[in-house]
Order: sequence, then C-alpha cells, then structure tokens
Amino acid sequence: MTEISNGNQIKIAVLSNVNLNFVIRKLRRVFCVFETEGYGNELGTMMDRESAYSRFQPEFTFLLMELSELVRSASSAAEAKEVMKDWFDGLEGAMVPGAVYYLADGYFRNAESDLNAFSLLDQETENVYNGLLKELMARKENVRVFPLARMIRKKGEDQVFQPKLFYMGKIPYANGFQEELAAEISNLVTMERRTPKKVLALDLDNTLWGGLAGERQHSEILLSDDGQGLIYKNVQRLLLRMKESGVLLVIASKNNPEDAWEIFDKWPHAVLRRKDFAAARINWQTKDQSLREMAKELNLGLDSFVFWDDQPAERELIKSMLPEVTVPDFPEKAEDLPGALTRVFDLYFRKGRVTKEDQTKTESYESNRLRQELGDQIRDFDDYLKSLQMTICRRDPVENRERLLQLLNKTNQFNLTTKRYTAMELSSILEDPEKKVYLYQIGDRFGDYGITGACILDLSDKPLITDFVLSCRVMGKRIEEAILKDLEEDVKAMGKTMLQGRYVPTAKNAPVADLYEKYGYAVISSQDGGGRVYELNLEKAPERKCFATWTKEGKE
Amino acid sequence: MKEEIIKIIEEILEVPAGTVTADTMTEDLDEWDSLAQVMIIGELEGRLGISIPLEEAVEVKGVADLLRLCGAGN
Repeated sequence: MTEISNGNQIKIAVLSNVNLNFVIRKLRRVFCVFETEGYGNELGTMMDRESAYSRFQPEFTFLLMELSELVRSASSAAEAKEVMKDWFDGLEGAMVPGAVYYLADGYFRNAESDLNAFSLLDQETENVYNGLLKELMARKENVRVFPLARMIRKKGEDQVFQPKLFYMGKIPYANGFQEELAAEISNLVTMERRTPKKVLALDLDNTLWGGLAGERQHSEILLSDDGQGLIYKNVQRLLLRMKESGVLLVIASKNNPEDAWEIFDKWPHAVLRRKDFAAARINWQTKDQSLREMAKELNLGLDSFVFWDDQPAERELIKSMLPEVTVPDFPEKAEDLPGALTRVFDLYFRKGRVTKEDQTKTESYESNRLRQELGDQIRDFDDYLKSLQMTICRRDPVENRERLLQLLNKTNQFNLTTKRYTAMELSSILEDPEKKVYLYQIGDRFGDYGITGACILDLSDKPLITDFVLSCRVMGKRIEEAILKDLEEDVKAMGKTMLQGRYVPTAKNAPVADLYEKYGYAVISSQDGGGRVYELNLEKAPERKCFATWTKEGKE
Repeated sequence: MKEEIIKIIEEILEVPAGTVTADTMTEDLDEWDSLAQVMIIGELEGRLGISIPLEEAVEVKGVADLLRLCGAGN
C-alpha cells in the first residue's frame, strides 16, 4: 500500500573521512543528495545544528568511514581504541531521532596491511570498531549496518583499492567499486521505502529437499551433509534464518501429509521442523485454494505472499489465479537454489532492522491457532475473551518509534485512515505538543504479541483521533474497545467533552468501516469517497467493556 | 584507440558524444573538474589495462596529454 515516493524527493547524505564525491554524483541522478563540503569533519558537520547538513534534514545518512584513516593518528592499539571510542561517542551525541543512519562496518586496509597480515593487527582494529558499532545499535534503534566489509571481500581487495586515486585525490576505491557503493546505497533506500512481503509459501518436493516424499521407498530423499543433499540442507538453513528475521514460512504442497511431516519430524538432517511453519496445506487440492485458506487463517492479504515452487505449472497457476501473489522464477540448477533464495529474500523481505516482534512472529501465529481452537470450545464470545486473560499496557512512543513507524506504515486492515509517514514526519508529530501518540503492548495467556496497537490524537482543535491502527495479530478480540476507552478517559481527564474520529476507506480496511458506529459515535460529516468523521459526547458514552487487564507500564 | 579514449572521457564527464575532441583542454569543460580528472585516470587504467605514472597524471591538462600517456598520441 505504501507509495514509493518519487526518488528525487528522498533526502540522503553520504558522509566519509575520504573522498566519496564520485559516489555522491552517481546517487544524485536518483535522490536528493546532501552536497558535502569536502570530506572528513563528518562529526562536526553532524553535530552543528546550524550546519547545512542539519538544515538539509536527510532522512538517511550513510557514514562510510575508512577505518585506517579514522585511526591514522594513533600510535598504538590502545590509542586507536580511544580514538574510535571518542568517535562513536561524538556520533551518538550528534544523531537526531527519527533519521536513519547506515554505518559501514569496519574494514581496515592501509599501506602496511600486507606486512601486518601475519600479526592480526588489522583485524584487531576491525573488531574494536565493530564491537562499538554493535553497542551503538543496541542503544539506538535507528542505526543499521552498511555491509562494506562484505562488499570488499566479495569483489577482492585488488579490484577495490586503487592507490593511485588515493594519492591523487584521497579516493580509496576504484571507479567500479564506487559504482557498486552507489548501487548498494540506492538498494537500501529503496528497501526502506517498499512494503516488505510477510509470507513465504513453500513447495516441498525438489524445493525443500531433493526427490519425492511419497516415493521414499523407491528413491532416496536428498537432504544431508554431502553433495546434492547439502544444497537442500543449506536451503533449509537459509529459510530458518529468514524465519528468525520475521518471515512467516508456510507450506503449500501436494503430498500425503504423513509422508511429508515424517521428514520434518524424523529426518536427522532436517533443519526446519514442524514448529517453524506458521501454517501448512499438505493435501491434493489446487495450490491457489491452499494459499487462499492460509491467507484467511493468518489474517493476511494474499498480496503479502511470495510463492516458491519448482514446478512451472504450479507457478503459472498461481500467477493466473492469484495475481496479487508474487511468484519469482525458480532456478534450473539445484546448485543455484541457495543464491536464488537469498535474492528472493533481499528483493521482497529484507528490512533495515529486525524488531523483537519480527523474531517471535511465527510463535505468535502458532499461539493464535491454539487460541482459535480454544474459541471453538467456548461458545459465548465474552467468556472466550475473558478466558484469554488478555493484558494491555501503554508503551513510550518515543522509545519505540521504530516499531511505531512500522505499525503505522505496514498495517492495512485495522487502519482507520491509512496514513503513511516518513521517519522525519513521525518525529515532528512526536515533538508536537498538540499531538499525543499512544502505543500499546498486548498479550494473553498464550504469549506476548508485543507492541501491536497505536493511536494519534490531534488536540489542536476538538480532540480528533487521526490514526488508529491495530496489528492483525490482535484483531477480533475487542482490544480496540479497551483502547478507545483509554483514549476517551484520557481526553476527559484533559477537561474536554467531545472526541472525534475519522474513517478513510481503502481497498483493505473494510473490516473497520463501522468501528466508530459500533462504539456509539455519530457521523457528523461524509465525504464523496466514503470517508466519514464521527463524534462522541463523552458524557453520554456507552459503557465500555474491557476484557484486558492493564499491566506494569500501566496508563503512564 | 583514440576514439575509445575519447568515449571513456565523455562517459565519465557525462557529456554528449562529440563534445570531446583531441584538442579539448580541461578548462574548456565545466564538467572536467579535479574529481572528474581522477576518475578519468582511474577509468582509463582499468579499461585499457595501463598504468599512468602519478607524477604525469597530476600534470594532465587536456585530451592530448591523456592520449600521449595512453600511448595513442601522434
């Protein structure tokens, strides 16, 4: 749903202690790039709130530091460590909340590197730098890694470093590598702007292992530590990493379920196990039907699905029956599988930063299934909700701004106005005294859903709920009633008597079209496109039920 | 070879084909600044597999110098 803004309106800055002006020139064709005054003094540029950089307000700042230059003045390892520590301290102080910072990881190379090769000296410097970077990332959620070291290793030092350019103009890298740097920066910005997919729907035979599960008596399954079997083991390792970074893995396979599950449950080389899948359809129905069912089960749109299957006919079927689903090509040769899968991840799933909610997503959906089963046993809905023993608490929006931004920009269904924000826009809302942002963490007896609800209140005139989003993981449990009640009480405590809400229809948010009516709000104006503004007199508000208990962080 | 070198220079400067001739001097084109100068040397070395001595590279005043250093002069 997010619109990729016109590239040349995205403001980025590339700062370094060496000459990267060629990279900046290349990027200028695509983005609005900060015009640096030379190079070096990157910290001074950032710290000075009056500097051209600060006034430029870049959304993304790329700090590609040449490590050997950074510690050039140091005459011992201990001194170098101090220099790096000071640099990181300075950087942390200069960072602005809301902006995103990509820092190159440490790669040390200077004139003495080939002499140092036997003493691990360069690596020590890299380790110190990377350790400091890791610590910074633990403290600041808007810091990410730019994979400089990986890029240099992949291309090879002889191709990357061109000493003559360094002597002539303090340019460390050959032209070709500078072009790659520009391309990587551009990829990362594009990635930050697109809406990632959520579900990877996997075929089994010749996709997660070689051979056919149903024919095991006649021909062996390839999934092992050697030869072709290792290819599939590596595929499973990659998928497990993807799952850990928040991708929901589901199965769409034509097989006898017993045959297939036996491999996940008992095969010694299986890396993926039954619990790693958020949903599965192993049967003989058509796969478009399987995907439709799983989308419903997970409460997600089919446009958040990527379909990975070795059979061209199945891929064609999905493309024609479910055009919303993304269907990448499948490599012809088995040995190309791990590389192809990595590219699928980069293209459709990779995020700048993995949040805590991402890491436990599959478990969360798994508990949802248990919840649904419990729902089947208890007939009265109120009893069911009570039995869930839900908990809710407010969380600080400033401390969790990354998650807040994710919620506002990625939520489609329970999203009353579907307004999308850049990090900078969100920052100004958080600082605006006439806006109040509410962020909620929700859990129940089956597990913690993490931070899954958010509202923004505009207090400049009559209090108005401009944004109201709830992750689909917590939909359908009347948790919105607890949140509305919280907002209403809060507004009342401010001495106001009226509260307004707004609904703007989109292709996805029909489930909440009647939300305000349902809770007693009256329509006061309607727009052509179906948008409506509602109002409630808080003195006459209907009694609200709250099935969740307020916990720890409480209501402030 | 001469044509190839001129083409490389035009690519780096991002100017239309035909802008650069064997007589073009660095000061004739706004695009030909010191950064472009270094990039041209880097690109010529990479693409033609040659090495231009540093002391000569910093003295380059125009296309004629480059052609000579690349062994394509007259």
